[in-house]
Amino acid sequence: MGVAEKPLYYLTIHEAQQLIRERKLSPVELTQAVLDRIAAVDGKLHAYINLMADGALAAARVAEAEIAKSRWRGPLHGIPFAVKDQLDVEGAPARVRQFTQGVGDATPVRKLREAGAVLMGKLHMSSMPGAPLPLPRNPWNTDHITGGSSTGSGAAVAGGLCLGSLGEDTAGSIRNPSAFCGIAGLKATYGRVSRHGLAPLSWSLDHCGPMARAVEDLAHMLNALAGFDPKDPTSSAQPSVDYTSALREDVKGMVVGVPRDYIDECAPRTDPIVLRRVDEAIDQLKALGARIEAVKVPTLHLATIANAVIYYNEFWAANRGDAAAVLQTGAAQRRARIYLGLLTNSSDYIQAQRIRSRCRAELAQVFEKVDCLALPNQNGPAPRVEDVGPIDTLFKHVVPEFHGPFNLTGLPTLSVPCGFSENNLPIALQIVGKPFDEVTVLRAGYTYQQQMKWYEKRPAI
Amino acid sequence: MDKLIEANLMAVLRREGLEPQSGDLEQFSEIIELYMENLCQLHSVNLGSEELGPVFRPEWK
Repeated sequence: MGVAEKPLYYLTIHEAQQLIRERKLSPVELTQAVLDRIAAVDGKLHAYINLMADGALAAARVAEAEIAKSRWRGPLHGIPFAVKDQLDVEGAPARVRQFTQGVGDATPVRKLREAGAVLMGKLHMSSMPGAPLPLPRNPWNTDHITGGSSTGSGAAVAGGLCLGSLGEDTAGSIRNPSAFCGIAGLKATYGRVSRHGLAPLSWSLDHCGPMARAVEDLAHMLNALAGFDPKDPTSSAQPSVDYTSALREDVKGMVVGVPRDYIDECAPRTDPIVLRRVDEAIDQLKALGARIEAVKVPTLHLATIANAVIYYNEFWAANRGDAAAVLQTGAAQRRARIYLGLLTNSSDYIQAQRIRSRCRAELAQVFEKVDCLALPNQNGPAPRVEDVGPIDTLFKHVVPEFHGPFNLTGLPTLSVPCGFSENNLPIALQIVGKPFDEVTVLRAGYTYQQQMKWYEKRPAI
Repeated sequence: MDKLIEANLMAVLRREGLEPQSGDLEQFSEIIELYMENLCQLHSVNLGSEELGPVFRPEWK
């Protein structure tokens, strides 16, 4: 579908920014189109928990006036975006912060606003405290879940309720909803995107990152988001680059490692359609000129449980002062994390950290021979809402699977759509890179995306 | 839930001055047992005396 035939709310950021820059599209017109879309379908999708329509229109008018005076700030100027509740917004602190104070705008929110993007509001996330809110529904089939915990971020982008969103990933929470909702998502290297203003789940595993319809949109968003932040003690001073430099349709000569032994270990818990689609995607990368190499990471089978041990211990530590209240009024997932954290002793936590170091060392050796890894991104297509219990996600966190190992090791990891199941639910490929080498994962994902064009398919809601 | 795990959990909750929400131990017994089982796996690898844990560095920056 050409840009001219697309509804405005289904433009990619890359398409919209070109039209805005050329003054063929007004930020106010685009924002209003997205607000109309929200009014039309969010009653079915339940993505937003706090729609900031007045603020969005005011910001869009400012963007329009600036662009009219030739003060175009860059590709995000006038682009509607929304954020997972876990990130603080001035006047709308994270609802998930049950007992702690917000900080005003979280750094990633501030950076997107400074780039001229238009904040539409805050999005649902799983395990929020208080009265239960309707669970976001998958735009591809509203009988199915969106994946979490960036539930609203996945539904909103896929459903045309914003052009890009911010998610947070401690054990797959950007990549899982990106996969289930058929959009692109990036967990950049730990430290690349500031965590300041992010209500913590686990200090050393939490990653904030962009979710959007197309890989090039992630590159535009990461250009604004990346960089050192003195307010985040784990923020990295590694220099950022122009991530749109990755947007070349070329993987010729790229060496793609496939951790086949690990995939086989996870296979009994993985739907065969996922394995088939991912194998097809890897074959496609080969056809595009990449060289495929099987690789072994001997300790990877312990990475998921190591990630869980660190996650629950740090969650317990972060919530210790309020634990009594969390146990009485918190969501089931939060209560369960506290019990699991309490059951783990210091030698378990230190062993998990040692496994973390061992995995990093093994991966460093593997990455001497390959440019990136390719592997599945999910155990199956999005399950039906009625088949998912309140703590089911936790079961995924404690047995070998595809997400936790890359929170544990902090490596940049991209989710890119790679097809559909027999019942038309999205499936995604995961591409993992060296520390701070987001360019390579974006390049591999972009090349594959441009060949397959899965992102051009739209759900009928 | 395994009696030993339950006793251990109740002991640490008491030490922290906490009480579980009514019904939680039953509701979460399956995930707690699976977690504890996989926790044992974590110690199955022999890392010997390799200094692989968090490393202290004295620099200020």
